[in-house]
Amino acid sequence: MQFISYSFVILWMITFALYYLLPKRMQWYVLLAASLIFYGVGLGGFPLNLLLTGVTTYGCGIYIKKALEQEKEARKQCVDREQKKTVKAAFQKRRKRVQILYMAFNLGLLVFYKYAVIAVPVIETLMGRHAGFLEKVIMPLGISFYTLTAISYVVDAGRENCEAETDFLKVLLFLAYFPSVTQGPFNRFSQMKEQFAGEHGFSYDRMLRGIQRFVWGAFKKLVIADRLGIFVDRVYGVEAASVSGSIYACATVLYMLQLYADFSGYIDMASGVSETFGIILPDNFRRPYFAKSVAEFWRRWHITLGAWFKDYVMFSFVMSGTGRRLGKACKNKWNGYGRQAVPIMGTMLVWFFTGIWHGRTVSYMLWGIYYGLIMSVSLVLEPFYESWKERLPVKGKHGERIWTFIRMARTWLIVFLADVLIRSGSLAQAGAIYTSFVTRLHIGSLLSSEITSYGLGRYDFLLLIPVLLIWLAVSAAEERGLDVRTVLAGRPAVIRWACYYGIVLMVLITGIYGGSYDTAVFMYQSF
Amino acid sequence: MQERILEILSEYCEEALTYNGDSMMEDGIIDSFTVINVVSDLEDEFDIEIDAKYVIAENFRNKEAIIALVQKLLEE
Repeated sequence: MQFISYSFVILWMITFALYYLLPKRMQWYVLLAASLIFYGVGLGGFPLNLLLTGVTTYGCGIYIKKALEQEKEARKQCVDREQKKTVKAAFQKRRKRVQILYMAFNLGLLVFYKYAVIAVPVIETLMGRHAGFLEKVIMPLGISFYTLTAISYVVDAGRENCEAETDFLKVLLFLAYFPSVTQGPFNRFSQMKEQFAGEHGFSYDRMLRGIQRFVWGAFKKLVIADRLGIFVDRVYGVEAASVSGSIYACATVLYMLQLYADFSGYIDMASGVSETFGIILPDNFRRPYFAKSVAEFWRRWHITLGAWFKDYVMFSFVMSGTGRRLGKACKNKWNGYGRQAVPIMGTMLVWFFTGIWHGRTVSYMLWGIYYGLIMSVSLVLEPFYESWKERLPVKGKHGERIWTFIRMARTWLIVFLADVLIRSGSLAQAGAIYTSFVTRLHIGSLLSSEITSYGLGRYDFLLLIPVLLIWLAVSAAEERGLDVRTVLAGRPAVIRWACYYGIVLMVLITGIYGGSYDTAVFMYQSF
Repeated sequence: MQERILEILSEYCEEALTYNGDSMMEDGIIDSFTVINVVSDLEDEFDIEIDAKYVIAENFRNKEAIIALVQKLLEE
C-alpha cells in the first residue's frame, strides 16, 4: 500500500476516526491493527518474516531483561569491585551469546532476501539446473528498515538504554508502525514507548499540522521528485556516448534534488500521518544541501540511519575488546596520527556497511568506500584546514560568506560525483559519464533544443523554477530556525488558506501521476 | 577532576567549553571522532572503562553531562 493511494487515505481516515472515538487505552491497539493491515495489504499476504523478527526480538528482549535482573542480584552479593567486575563480565558474556544468535538469525534473513537475487542464479549455474527457486522469493516489504529497528531495540535493552517490553504486541507495534515500517525513519524504542502507551486527546491544530506536513511531502514527491525523475531516467537510460557531459551533469544535479525530494517527501508524509495521532517521529533530514562538509551533510541526510550505524557499528567496534587493543597499540605511532587509526577503521566499516545496505551492486560498495575515504582523509587533514584558510583572501564578514559558499560547493561536488556512481546502470556507464565531463562537456547543449528532448518540455522546466524556489525559500526559513507552519498559522486567514489551497492545487494539477491518482512509488522503498 | 576533564575536552574541541545547549552531538559541536578520542583519554586519565552503552548523545550533550558521567563511573 502506497502513501499516495486511495486505499491509504481510506485506511488513514478510518484509523484516525477509531483512534479518537474508541477509549484512549485502546489507541495503541488501533495503531497495531492499522499497521498490520497496511503491511499485509502492501505485502499481499501474511507477514511471516515480520512476525518472525517480532517474536525473536521480543524473546531476546525478555531474556536480556531477566539476565540483567539476575546480574543485579548477583552484584549485590559481591564484596569488592573486582568481584563485581567478574560477575559483570560473566553475565555480559551470556547476554552477548544470545544477542549474537539473535543477530545472526535476523541479519541472515535480511542478507538472504537482499542477496538471493545474486546468489541463486550463480548457485543454479554451478549446479547446472534451474529449480525456479528465485521466482518464489519475494523480498519482504521494509525488511531493511524493520530489521535494523529491531536490532536497535535488542542492543539498547542489553546496554540498558531502554527497558525490554513484556508485552509482545507492543514490540510488534514498534516494529510494524505503519507510517515508518517501509522507509523509516529508524525509531528507537526509548523514544516511542511512552508515545505509543500515552493517551492522546483529539487536537484540531495537531491534525491540521499533520495534514499540512503530509501535503508538503506529497508536493515534494509528486511535483518535484517525479518530474525531475522523468528527465533523469531518460538521460541515464540512453547510450552514454550519445549524450554530452553537460546534459549528464544537469541530469545528475537534478538526480541529487530528485532523491532528496523523494525521500524527504516520504518522511514528511510519514511524520505528518504520525503527527495526526500525536506521535512524533524523529527528524530524518535537516536541509543537507546547506552542509559545509561531507560529514555535516551526512549528519543532515538520513539522520536516523547515520545515528544507527554510529551507535551500533562505529561505537560497538571502537569500544570492543579488539577496538580498544588496536587503539592502544596504535595510539603513539605515526607522529601522533596513530590515535586516529581506530576511528578511521570504524568509519570505513560504517561506510562499507552503509554502501551494501543501500544496494547490492559493486557501485554501492564503491560508493560507501568513497565516502569512508573522504571522511577519513578529512579527519587527518582537519588540523591543517584553519592554516589553509588563513592563507586565502577570505577575511571579514563578506569573506566568511564566500568561504562558506566555497565549502558548500565543495560538498555538492563530492555528493555529485558519488551520485553518478549509484545512478548509473553499471560501472562502465559511470566511467563513461565521468569521461564525458572532461572530454565532451559541450555547455551549449544546455541552451539548445537537446535539453527538452529527454521527456521534460519547456513548460516543465518553466514550472520547476518557481517550484524549486518555493522549496528553497521554505528550506532557507527553516535553516534560520523558523517553523514555516507556525509562521503561516500566524498570518491572516486569507493568506494562510491561499497558501494551503495553492499547494494542494499544485499537487493535484501539476503532480506527476501514473495512470490514475494512485500510482506513485518511492525510491527508497527499494533499499 | 573537573578541570582535567575540561582540559581533555578542550584539546579536541574548544567550542565544547563555551557551548550552552544540550545537544552537542546533534548540533555538530563534537563529532563521533572527538567522542572516541575524549573517551579514550578519559579512560586513561581516570582508570575507568566507558562501555559503548555510555557513549550516547545524552551523556555527551554538554560538558556538564560528561563530568557527571565520569563521576558516576568513578563511584561505581
